[in-house]
Amino acid sequence: MSQFTPVITAVTKHRGVQAALVVAEEDGIVVDGTAHVGVGTNAFAALTASLYRKASRGAGAAGFGTVSYFELEAERGRVMAAGRNGLVIIAVAEPRVNVGLLRVELVRAAESL
Amino acid sequence: MIRHSIMVGWADAPMKRYVDDARIQLAVLMHPSGQVVAQHGFQKKLDVQTACALSAAINATADGLGTMIDHAPFRGMHYAGAERQLHLAQMHVGTGLLLLLSVFDRESSLGIVQLYLDELRGSLSATVPSEEDAPPALAEDFERDLNSNLAALFGKR
Repeated sequence: MSQFTPVITAVTKHRGVQAALVVAEEDGIVVDGTAHVGVGTNAFAALTASLYRKASRGAGAAGFGTVSYFELEAERGRVMAAGRNGLVIIAVAEPRVNVGLLRVELVRAAESL
Repeated sequence: MIRHSIMVGWADAPMKRYVDDARIQLAVLMHPSGQVVAQHGFQKKLDVQTACALSAAINATADGLGTMIDHAPFRGMHYAGAERQLHLAQMHVGTGLLLLLSVFDRESSLGIVQLYLDELRGSLSATVPSEEDAPPALAEDFERDLNSNLAALFGKR
């Protein structure tokens, strides 16, 4: 059990969440997390952290300040991420997930990072 | 066991894909002896030669230190500088071992590099030439082989 276990548990308990990972923003390396069998956590972590970094740079370049949350919607699922202090919490979810609730959970989780 | 000479050219396509996908700035694939197999981003033969020699030395040092301290060789190395990062990986390709030095900046990350390294390993294993295709490598021919490989990679410059 790590210091991130409570936030990971809080995200994972939502119906439709397949993986919840705490990832280093700069490295894209998994710090802690849980995932269903078959979810490629390392790939998700590396690619989503990269997207998050680029979104942050884009927001910075546009003068919008820091990115607190972003979401990627695909045909068969969603990737949602929120970050703070060099860490990003990522949720991989099925389309049926309650997006609003999970978003609130992720933003709350990010505040504790 | 006869060690066969290091051939160049066969790894160029997988290396190009790796460099493009992982947003690598500089990359050199080499034999643990320091003989270059493929490279990307270097403009001068001497720079490749130096990078290969230093990487081979780092690998040998890590092997020796690991065996001394932990009874097993240390594998791989990552250094994060202020602007650029360096990653040295060992790759088992076919029946042999190769080293890959990658240099990247904030356009990439350690996680991305590790992700695409796995793909590169698979691609190299599929394209590695059979050892029988290469003439045996002799210690006295090391420098000649090195120069001919560098000439093949850089033309006749």
